[in-house]
Amino acid sequence: MATDASAVIPCEEAPAVDDDVRRRIFRCVLLHRLMEERIMLLYKQGRIPGSVYTGRGQEAVGAAAGVALSADDVVAPLNREMGCHIARGVTVAHIFRNYLGRATGPTGGRDGNMHFGVPEQGVFPLVSMLGDLVPVMVGAALAFKRRGEPRVALTFFGDGAFNCGDTHEGLNLAGALNVPAVFIAQSNRVAYSTFTERSMRNPVLAQRIEGGYSIPCPRVDGTDALAVYSTVREAVERARSGDGPQAVEALTVRMDGHAAHDDARYMDRELLHEYATRRDPVERLAARLIADGMSADEVASLRDAAAAEVAAGLAEAEAAPAPDPATLEQGVYASPVR
Amino acid sequence: MAAAEITYLEAIRLAMRDAMRDDERVFLLGEDVGHFGGAFGVTQGLLDEFGGDRVIDTPISEEGFIGAAFGAAWMGERPIAELQFADFVSCPFDQIVTVGAKTHWRNGIALPVVIRLPSGGGVRGGPFHASSPEGWFVGTAGLKVVCPGTVEDAYGLLRAAVEDDDPVLYFEHKALYRRLRAPQPDASYRVPIGRARVARDGTDVSVITYGSGVSLALGVAEAMAPGASVEVLDLRTIWPLDVEAVLESVARTSRALVLQEASRSTGAANTIVSLVAQRAFERLDAPIRVVAPPDTPVPYAPELEDAYLPSAAGLTSALEDLLGY
Ligand SMILES: Cc1ncc(C[n+]2csc(CCOP(=O)(O)OP(=O)(O)O)c2C)c(N)n1
Repeated sequence: MATDASAVIPCEEAPAVDDDVRRRIFRCVLLHRLMEERIMLLYKQGRIPGSVYTGRGQEAVGAAAGVALSADDVVAPLNREMGCHIARGVTVAHIFRNYLGRATGPTGGRDGNMHFGVPEQGVFPLVSMLGDLVPVMVGAALAFKRRGEPRVALTFFGDGAFNCGDTHEGLNLAGALNVPAVFIAQSNRVAYSTFTERSMRNPVLAQRIEGGYSIPCPRVDGTDALAVYSTVREAVERARSGDGPQAVEALTVRMDGHAAHDDARYMDRELLHEYATRRDPVERLAARLIADGMSADEVASLRDAAAAEVAAGLAEAEAAPAPDPATLEQGVYASPVR
Repeated sequence: MAAAEITYLEAIRLAMRDAMRDDERVFLLGEDVGHFGGAFGVTQGLLDEFGGDRVIDTPISEEGFIGAAFGAAWMGERPIAELQFADFVSCPFDQIVTVGAKTHWRNGIALPVVIRLPSGGGVRGGPFHASSPEGWFVGTAGLKVVCPGTVEDAYGLLRAAVEDDDPVLYFEHKALYRRLRAPQPDASYRVPIGRARVARDGTDVSVITYGSGVSLALGVAEAMAPGASVEVLDLRTIWPLDVEAVLESVARTSRALVLQEASRSTGAANTIVSLVAQRAFERLDAPIRVVAPPDTPVPYAPELEDAYLPSAAGLTSALEDLLGY
């Protein structure tokens, strides 16, 4: 990473966020970053089939939101939220097994890249169709409300997905049913190549979520992991205590193209440079850890530990067996008719 | 004492009521299902018995509440969602075929949701309130599609659907709601999903049908006896198809006709014709026929709708033709 440490803006001071949480978030954003760097290489080497989407520049949002949840809560992360899976306890090897299409991965090779859930960890599988998971998580929250369980269902959507009908039906339904659902808007202001200015009249999602649905929606700097954590944590606890659905709009910049094939030539180079040098979410958190007293050596050792975890997880995933085509028709139904 | 007679509509209501009495996880959601009792009155009385936590009036958001049904099912509930008309299944189509159909295969998560779809014509509903869109889901791996054609099946298939671990699309025929009456089935009655039933034995020709076709075919078969011995195979579940039952029936009679209310290139007809062509060609004494409406939307004016829908006269002449081949 060619970042000039002196230029990096540390995360805002966040004395209320304890050391353990900071370390957990740091591990998640580091693993997210390092895994995706590795995944891009594997993709270019032809070792990952299909397509690859990264969350570069947005790692803080998924990681911090994931850490803000409690063990019994459920979540549906999307493409740019690998760190959220890690926060839920999904292992590096398990994620790599999905990318590599291995039999023992979360989808057994039936789906790829970030398209997987880990139900044992309360993670619902991403479906490509943008917006779909908003109502689905409203339904999970409805189940909690019906049973009087103090649990929360959380999902994410991009600003592009905010143009989809399902997103809005889900937001409205969450309000009408008054369920403990939390929505995180990942506002990177671009959907593939289309900027929000061209896709909506009012690109301030927080205004529309608050004004249109009466769902509280604070805005937060999505490159500041500790700020995201604090804001999401409060939203989660409000939802848990019966205040109904909550939202947070996290402002970020998508640092890579939409997917591996996209060179993002339509992006503003100066903005990307500014974010790469000063607002990289991983470096901002590292700078805050150091500012608050962690030694540079310890930060370096956390980076080394994450790199070692990635290497070990990849090795484990590569050793996993390929799926057997003879099993293809198994599991279509939970209760097969014959 | 013989059981009281109930209508097809009452059988659906009783099946929901009994399922809700038996299992706390079962709840209803849909538009106007609570206070109003459903657009056709199917859910009448259920709000009073079970309360607003279990009979939920939703906004007009088919994508929203069908998606929510899947999410609740993921968390262990067993929702029954009512669409006001089957035609509106075009709105939550994506939730059904994307989330509902693929999640177990992809990720091993069972989604036990029943979606009730009031379908069918004969009610002058026109292009948006009289369709039989079940064919959109025939062939979609991960979904189950059932179409009760009798009072007993209306009850037994719905009870089985609620207990099933997969998403089940339950197409209930609006014209049968009050037309069919039969003794109330026992609360333990279940109709196995994925199994057809020989509704009438015959030796000369098989009418393979479902939904509104069952009573139509039985009436015609009765009228054509004893001159012709017509077997009626009621599919009950149109997906996954009971392949063996179709092949066995065709093997018995050597002549087959598919009768359905869905327009002829949709529904279950093509799947059955294809199956018979591939697996029973040598058993046939005549080409398989299809009696179904033309490939248009359902028309409104009585003259048009009556001409559109399968009729006893049309079925009789198609059968005579087939028997004389
Ligand atoms: C309904 C639907 N239409 C199109 C696509 C293809 N697609 C995948 S991601 C994407 C852009 C999404 O933009 P946004 O929601 O802002 O998320 P971001 O990529 O910025 O994270 C598009 C168009 C899709 N997945 N779903």
